[in-house]
Amino acid sequence: MRIGVCIKQVPDTDSHLRIADSGREIDDSDLNWVISSCDLCALEEALVLAEAEVSRGEERPELVVFSLGPARVEEALRKALALGADRAVHLADEALQGGDALADGRALAAALAGENCDLVLTGAQSDDLGQAATPAVIAEILGVPYAWLVMAVELDSHKQSVRVVRELEGGMNEVLRLDLPAVLAIQAGINKPRFASLRGTLQARRKPLQLEGCSGVDAGLVGAAGAGTETESVTLPPAGAGGVVIEGASAEAAAEELLAHLEREAVL
Amino acid sequence: MEALRVLITRESGGDPAAPTVVLLPHTYQSAEYAPRLAVRLGAAYVASVSSATLDACGGLRFSRAILQARLRAEVRPKRRLVVATVQIGAFGGHEPVESPERVFEVGRPADVERHREREMLGREAAGAGGVDLPGAERIVTAGRGVGGPDEVSVAADLASALDAELGASRPVVDNGWLPREHQVGSSGHIVAPNLYVALGVSGSIQHLMGMSGSRVIVAINRDPEAPIFSVAHYGIVADLHDVAPALTRLLEARRSA
Repeated sequence: MRIGVCIKQVPDTDSHLRIADSGREIDDSDLNWVISSCDLCALEEALVLAEAEVSRGEERPELVVFSLGPARVEEALRKALALGADRAVHLADEALQGGDALADGRALAAALAGENCDLVLTGAQSDDLGQAATPAVIAEILGVPYAWLVMAVELDSHKQSVRVVRELEGGMNEVLRLDLPAVLAIQAGINKPRFASLRGTLQARRKPLQLEGCSGVDAGLVGAAGAGTETESVTLPPAGAGGVVIEGASAEAAAEELLAHLEREAVL
Repeated sequence: MEALRVLITRESGGDPAAPTVVLLPHTYQSAEYAPRLAVRLGAAYVASVSSATLDACGGLRFSRAILQARLRAEVRPKRRLVVATVQIGAFGGHEPVESPERVFEVGRPADVERHREREMLGREAAGAGGVDLPGAERIVTAGRGVGGPDEVSVAADLASALDAELGASRPVVDNGWLPREHQVGSSGHIVAPNLYVALGVSGSIQHLMGMSGSRVIVAINRDPEAPIFSVAHYGIVADLHDVAPALTRLLEARRSA
């Protein structure tokens, strides 16, 4: 069995974000790049599934991690290898860059199809664009069942299907059965991603990392050429709704002032 | 989804007045299949938009939050047909003034019975009960900024001094600092108390959706750029570990006075 995990490298949301001079993107000259948080959960879930297979006396599934992006993405893939993935595929070709979810999903689907993955895991949404679209696009192009916001995954003993729990609004969950192959978009909170060990980091240097071109996909459907959308501008959100900023000289002074406001609002 | 595709392609096929925008709510049900629908239609896809405008040439622009609501992006579709999902609460609701002009009936696709590759087995509650957030008059919510499981007490103490329920943001629940039934936001409880105090909550879109209807919103956060300040009526840019205990002390002193 082979499990594919798609990860995206995103700016650390705690880093200071500046808008580039073009006004169309963020300035990436001084950013800290990390694996998007839900994608880390997807990788952790794949590792847990693989370990569960081993403890059932089955052969350990092979874990292949995929990422699309420029040269800096290799660092994210090496981290995934350090965490326990077996192989990495980097969709680094220039023609694949600059796409949107439709274009990226198409490129990733082609790479996943080339590896014949039985199960594809990825994060429910990225920490940067947060469209939650790429995993659904991958499923549609592969023509396989899909579940979004997955909170639990269980492989059946014949590896023909998965039982998943997926989140709905209002504190409800839905229990589903999906035939394999399938694409699952993993929600944050399903698990606590492990940290890489020193041994894992050392081993990761020797694990195979393969550069993937864009063979097998129509060049007009991937990268900037295949994108269905274009970002015109990036701006700071509108300032607050005229709220009162309390700047007390001390915590006590700020607390006093706040309580005076709350008393006037009659909410105490 | 296939029924929608049949309907939309029939509607947009060759007719110059045919629809070019398909709008769906960004709910956990429809946003799951909306990107697949866009692929099937050969349409552009834009998720969770908060506004839409037309430029001078009649071209559409969608506005949406990116990077955890720290920035906004204006997105232009490059295809004639666009599928977009709309952020819940982004537009005020209007009462329908009249019945829709045209209502279409679509027959069931022929292969629907064979299509059993995904099957619903049931539904279940996500967490245990015992917390009444929707019914609460006042809520104090602990965000990631409280720092850790042992420091949630700073929020719990203030909640008890205010006679408020204790809420939690998603990262706090995901990290196991508080059980899921405390979670405020689109995947937890939608709340609108008289007083909402956010301690160390940055304010993701999902969180704001769950609480922005509260009457008085107080945000205490060290990060002046935290999106929670965009909905707060009173904001204190400071360390919550200084301000929240000060508030608790003042409230307790009043109570015993």
